Amino acid sequence: MTDLICVGAISGSFGVRGEVRLKSFTSDPEAVADYSPLTTEDGSRQFTVQLTRQIKNGFAAVLGGVETKEEADALRGVRLYAPRDRLPSLPDDEFYHADLIGLEVYDTGGTLLGKVNAVLNHGATDLLELAPAGGGGTVLLPFTYDAVPTVDLTAGRIIADPPEGVLPE
Amino acid sequence: MSRSVWKGPFVDAYVLKKAEKVRDSGKNEVIKIWSRRSTILPQFVGLTFGVYNGQKHVPVLVTEDMIGQKFGEYSPTRTYYGHAADKKAKRK
Repeated sequence: MTDLICVGAISGSFGVRGEVRLKSFTSDPEAVADYSPLTTEDGSRQFTVQLTRQIKNGFAAVLGGVETKEEADALRGVRLYAPRDRLPSLPDDEFYHADLIGLEVYDTGGTLLGKVNAVLNHGATDLLELAPAGGGGTVLLPFTYDAVPTVDLTAGRIIADPPEGVLPE
Repeated sequence: MSRSVWKGPFVDAYVLKKAEKVRDSGKNEVIKIWSRRSTILPQFVGLTFGVYNGQKHVPVLVTEDMIGQKFGEYSPTRTYYGHAADKKAKRK
């Protein structure tokens, strides 16, 4: 589990009054401001975020401490992070993608199957994309109670009972 | 132009056969199919199909609200990962 979660990125300046172009990565794009103040990856700078308007590919935003266009230009490419503990808690059957990514997946016999690479959703159930322990192409595992009976975030492991045909023979 | 109603929904015959076989056996198995063009029928609800996307078989657990759609709609051929941020996954 990572402590910082990337919720947005600055793609340049907007206008001449020190506003920035902000790309939001959150599921509700406007929610990026709710996690304010945001920090840079190394934590050296912290910004309060106030969205001013919606623009192409994101929002125009006023960042605390950024007064001029030159300062805004200098922030181009900077990613903004929020601490993990600022995300609201979820019911038992829901998990943040950020929490699931990187967990080790074991089968019911205790054999390591791989690591969670990504969480996908193509319209049906959520899918865990596993990078197999033995290497090779990724494997997709349906995120259902049958296929994934246990998710232990504190131990950092998932117990899976993959249906026949999911894992390569 | 949409498909004529008198023809009924299109499903490749092998998909029906495979689905029936798995349903009768009661096994927890992914039914590998290549037919992205087949319509999802009510008798497929509860089964998991592995729908080919040109690279791999994407597991698709069929639910009631998917009836009438095509299998290919749930198995995209291009994948964009994006950022995890505050996105949530729900176990069903």
